[in-house]
Amino acid sequence: MSRFACLWVECFVAAAVERSEPALRAAPLAVVAPAPSVTRVVDANPAAREYGVRAGVTETEARARCPTLVSRPFVREHVAAARHALLEAALGVSPRVEDGGAGLVYVDAAGLTWLHGDPAAVGRRLVSQARGVGFPGCRVALAGSRTAARVAAVRAAEPVMVVPPGAERAALAGAPLAALDLAPDLVATLEGWGVRTLGELAALPRDGLAVRLGPAGLRAHDLALGHDRDPFCAWTPPPFWDEAQGLEWEIDSLGALAVVLDAVLGRLCARLVAASLAADALDVRLELASGGHHARAVALAVPMCEVKPMLALLTLDLEAHPPAAAVTRVTVSAHPVRARAGQGGLWQPPAPRLRDLVAVLARLAALVGPDNVGSPRLDDSHRPDAYALTAFAPPDEPGGAGGERTPRPDPPLSDAHRLVLRRVRPARRVAVATDDERPSRVDGQRVVGCAGPWRASGAWWDVQAWARDEWDVALGDGTLCRLARDLTTDGWSLDGVYD
Amino acid sequence: MEDVAWVRRGEITEIVGRPSSGRTSLFTACLRAVTRRGAIAALVDADQTFDPASATRAGVDLRCLLWVRCGGRRDLALRAADLLVRCPGFALIGLDLGEAPPRLPLTLAFRLKFAVERTETALLIVSRRRVTGSGASLVVETERKAIAWVGPGPVPTRLAAARTSARVLRARRPPAALPPEWWSA
Repeated sequence: MSRFACLWVECFVAAAVERSEPALRAAPLAVVAPAPSVTRVVDANPAAREYGVRAGVTETEARARCPTLVSRPFVREHVAAARHALLEAALGVSPRVEDGGAGLVYVDAAGLTWLHGDPAAVGRRLVSQARGVGFPGCRVALAGSRTAARVAAVRAAEPVMVVPPGAERAALAGAPLAALDLAPDLVATLEGWGVRTLGELAALPRDGLAVRLGPAGLRAHDLALGHDRDPFCAWTPPPFWDEAQGLEWEIDSLGALAVVLDAVLGRLCARLVAASLAADALDVRLELASGGHHARAVALAVPMCEVKPMLALLTLDLEAHPPAAAVTRVTVSAHPVRARAGQGGLWQPPAPRLRDLVAVLARLAALVGPDNVGSPRLDDSHRPDAYALTAFAPPDEPGGAGGERTPRPDPPLSDAHRLVLRRVRPARRVAVATDDERPSRVDGQRVVGCAGPWRASGAWWDVQAWARDEWDVALGDGTLCRLARDLTTDGWSLDGVYD
Repeated sequence: MEDVAWVRRGEITEIVGRPSSGRTSLFTACLRAVTRRGAIAALVDADQTFDPASATRAGVDLRCLLWVRCGGRRDLALRAADLLVRCPGFALIGLDLGEAPPRLPLTLAFRLKFAVERTETALLIVSRRRVTGSGASLVVETERKAIAWVGPGPVPTRLAAARTSARVLRARRPPAALPPEWWSA
């Protein structure tokens, strides 16, 4: 048996603005858009409607009716993002949802009772999801058809309403004709017959309607009976995730911009969480007062859906690459990926959480430079001090390329207590006096013991050929160091100090 | 960390001494013990003196080591260490301040001390002299005792080993085990 839920948000355009600025929920709000000659109200929230502010009236008239009215400009991206957010919230409950228009989502609820409980529980789950993405005033109705569910949701007094199976016609009977979005001439004809409610329309003889009104009349009759004839068009999420925030005034400090980014990321993360996704990269686009824009792509290194580390990474990136002028608009796009759930081994040593580690690495890179933070990797070369600094990625993926982060077998005991070298970078040139080709004095210091030479060379086939003799030298002041004599220049240098 | 059981988590340990006294070898042994069991370590290197080749020969798993080079800027080194000690999950954080360590304000020393207590991280500071004062739970001074040269003839051709000793300058509790004495080259 078919069951559908309708998720409905009243005054959706105003609700989309309230979603961006939650503080406006308590105030009478009108969303206005400039028309050719005058600014008109596009939508108003329930508080403003109590004063008689309706779509279509001029802003001046609206302010005359409601002196405390707050107005915001109509931003198409706000509405689009809010519409996506509502659809994604519904997707968190059912895999089949249909976009019924702004503020209207149909959910195929067949079989959902196995997952969530009785129909009322399904409705509560939908309400909870919608509230999670910023629609506290949403309503849900469940019925055997989408039309019955929609009409019931619009007329419901409670957040959740359930129309029992088979009771769709009775539930629709008291609704006015306007609830069906019929063509105006058809409505005028029906009203001319004295038909005012859906119950009266449903009571008309079907054959007579077919003869007089044709297919349009039959469709209206089906809808009044609570039957859907249109196919269910399942909605699939688009491959992009955007959230935007227009600003009333220009922002010229990073601290104030972080507050706006926090709100934008909060909405974006709520959408990601509702769809069980995470972001592995963020694109930030800042529109500037100068007319240009400032775009940054921030790789997150690890998929995440938490606001705090994302905000830290964005802020650090914008600190390093600040916009050239004051910001008038913020847009953040996420690259969604399916987050893989994992669990560390029971005896695995503790390690930093990835999102903490990414934030710390970003802060360190901002502090000392990105080229000075990483994990050393030895180059496959005999050249002294041949190494590279690579991105720090501890091998923590079980079975991954890096192998599991488990204890390694111990090396021979002789390796356990090795004398190590403290490198002098760059190698410092020293004056060395020799006696029978062995160092006897280094920068005036007497040599009390030495061993060598250890000859090494490489890249003789290239212009970067090198050849050197290395000596381990103990000086009179107690320093034990490694000297190198460059055979190409015959110069001596201090490679490092054994310590 | 059987070999380095004297280094405790949640505490600050300092290794001080003259050049060639074995400070860095002792510190590298700690890095080896941590990374060999798969834990994560970090090294804040004020003077960029860390030698990856020596560390690899000493058994350090470089994949588990985060190296932060500060290019001689000790203020940056202290700030980097301050960031790292606040991130839970690092088993060991090394702070190599080299031969000219700065004077740490007492407030900063105790800030580090409270941070490592909270994150259960071992903070190991290597420098020429003590820098954290009473903030350190254990201070070990190293001193070189002897050098062993070897070679087939009367003239040595190879540095074989160095013998060092470690003296406890300050300990809130008696250290669990003394550091090793012989370091093979």
